[in-house]
Amino acid sequence: MSRRSLARFVALAAILSMFGTSAAVMPAQAADQVIKIGIDLPVSGADASDGIPTQNGAALAVDEANAHAPKGIKFAVDALDDAVGGVHNPQQGATNIRSLAADPAVMGVVGPFNSNVAAAEIPVSNESGLPLISPSNTNPTLTKTAKYRTAHPNEITYFRVCATDDVQGKAGAEFAKTLGLKKVYIIDDNETYGLGLANVFEKDFKEMGGAVLGHDHITANQQDFKALLTKVAATKPDAVYYGGTTSTGGGLVRQQMGAAGMDPAKVKYEGGDGISDAEFIKVAGDAANNSYYTVAAPNAAKSASAQAFINAYKAKYHSDIGAYSANGYVAAQVIIAAAEKAIKANGGKAPTRAQVLKNIQNTSGFKSIIGTFGFDKNGDTTSPVIALWTIKNGAQDFVHQINVSTK
Amino acid sequence: MELFIQQVINGLSLGGIYALIALGYTMVYGIIELINFAHGDVYTMGSFFSIAIIGLLDASGQLHGLPLLLVLAVTLAGAMILCGIVGVLLERLAYRRLRNAPRLAPLITAIGASFILENIMQLWRGPSPIPFPSVVPNVTWHFGGVNLSSNEVLVVVMALALMAMLQIFIYNTRLGKAMRATAQDRDAAQLMGININMTIALTFFIGSALAGVGGFVSGIYYGSTWFYNGFEAGLKAFTAAVLGGIGNVAGAMLGGFVIGMVESLTAGFISDQWATVAVFLLLVLVLIFRPSGLLGEVLPDKV
Repeated sequence: MSRRSLARFVALAAILSMFGTSAAVMPAQAADQVIKIGIDLPVSGADASDGIPTQNGAALAVDEANAHAPKGIKFAVDALDDAVGGVHNPQQGATNIRSLAADPAVMGVVGPFNSNVAAAEIPVSNESGLPLISPSNTNPTLTKTAKYRTAHPNEITYFRVCATDDVQGKAGAEFAKTLGLKKVYIIDDNETYGLGLANVFEKDFKEMGGAVLGHDHITANQQDFKALLTKVAATKPDAVYYGGTTSTGGGLVRQQMGAAGMDPAKVKYEGGDGISDAEFIKVAGDAANNSYYTVAAPNAAKSASAQAFINAYKAKYHSDIGAYSANGYVAAQVIIAAAEKAIKANGGKAPTRAQVLKNIQNTSGFKSIIGTFGFDKNGDTTSPVIALWTIKNGAQDFVHQINVSTK
Repeated sequence: MELFIQQVINGLSLGGIYALIALGYTMVYGIIELINFAHGDVYTMGSFFSIAIIGLLDASGQLHGLPLLLVLAVTLAGAMILCGIVGVLLERLAYRRLRNAPRLAPLITAIGASFILENIMQLWRGPSPIPFPSVVPNVTWHFGGVNLSSNEVLVVVMALALMAMLQIFIYNTRLGKAMRATAQDRDAAQLMGININMTIALTFFIGSALAGVGGFVSGIYYGSTWFYNGFEAGLKAFTAAVLGGIGNVAGAMLGGFVIGMVESLTAGFISDQWATVAVFLLLVLVLIFRPSGLLGEVLPDKV
């Protein structure tokens, strides 16, 4: 407590004691200053199986921060949903960030989950100076170009703790090679994420000598993929590569492959982190087996330092962590650490958003359960990891992971 | 060539589903000149009811012989009756009072009813795709390079049979005659002693029951459904009804098959993204050159 506020405190106490009420009022000290960590993820509908485990991870970090928060400071979660009608929605995302930015107590936001939502949110974040840390956006252009930083092109307010699709697509192509795939047909959902990932995969798979038999786009809310898949089956591919999420058709495409003449036991299915959710197995049913996918985050279960997190998560939510739970947890930790550093510099007082942003930008050597990392000049993690997974007997099964940092 | 035939088969089965939905659109429009936008959602409800009934029957795994026939019959009858009731309720609660209101009012009401049904389904079974129990064994026959599955045959046969039955009903029964009379001139029909409220409710019941059949066979055909399914399917089926000549039963069927075929051939030979574009492009062309649809009669405007 600074000397001046101490003086005020004493004066106040003196006045109150004159009225003989000090005994009753004194213990109710000035209310804690609340620092809010915003969360913007799709937590309803088909996307909920992506969003909820990630949100849980972030909320856990806030809980833990409160256990040893600086005196007079309380961390709180302000969680919003960017799904409309069960599917992530860019307009809703931008609206959410606008409302979070309007609340001065919000110091940073964990999210969004989907790249097209990020494309709508980054301009709002950039204008308002509200830091966004995405656990899972993988589209490279979000950080590597300034096209979404419309207000202040040189100010970085958007960060991510996951790898990007230029490396995810490449890892996917290498993965396809090691699986012995020679002829692949590519389908994507024509979204920022899905199309971007599919294009990188196509380019790298061709460079590695693989044959791409065709590349088609599907549209949102489509139910019937039989005509497309009949055409795909006629080209006799070893596998279908899908760029997109389960909610935009990733599960249904796999489910309908059998009816279109591609036996799921023979024709493999590969995708990115968009089909890494439990929903994929539910929608695709038995056909989910023999599918492979990449995730732009390490498998937390393989890291010794993550065991405490995994146990705490299980204890609190009674379920296993999702592909991006650990990333959500770490993204929240980065914001909390930046806020705590600013609180220390302020002598115990709540920080301003600008201070927190500055500290996030300067994050380096940050020790976390997904490795030690910092942010580069674009806001990307300096330690990106790609993990490879498969689906066996209706369950997700870890294959291996690689660190893909270029430095 | 094999690929072409395969896509035609895909198109016919897709078209069969559209046709079943289009019949309801066309019947309701024929009788009260209302575009019942909630009809697509009644179709989805058909899938939802079927899943619920199969669940109640405790049927799981693939069935054969008599149990299969029993489950099929009970599920189909149940889905038809329940969808019919939904249709009658819609008419009674949402549309009847607006029968003499300006045309825009019932149209907006229909859109509202569609949202209500969608949200009821979302609250009931959640917003993700729901797997449809695979109780019907799907046999695939191979003819050279062409595959034909029993599910595809089921969809097309079901659509054709129901259209034939509907046609017989409308032209060869007293109730059908009452329906045609009501469609032609509601006031005159009433003067002749026809209970028009009953007749309109019956039209909604039959149309919705057919959508229920559509929901049932589409569940079997696709193996999954979700609450939002009826929106796009309803739009396409409506297009089918207009294409074939709205108010005309055989036209709805023809329109359904044409649209299924156009969609599937475009997706198969041009690009999946152009499928919907091609469907609506065809609609625009037909409306320009044959405003009353393929089989529609040219009627003078009502004064």
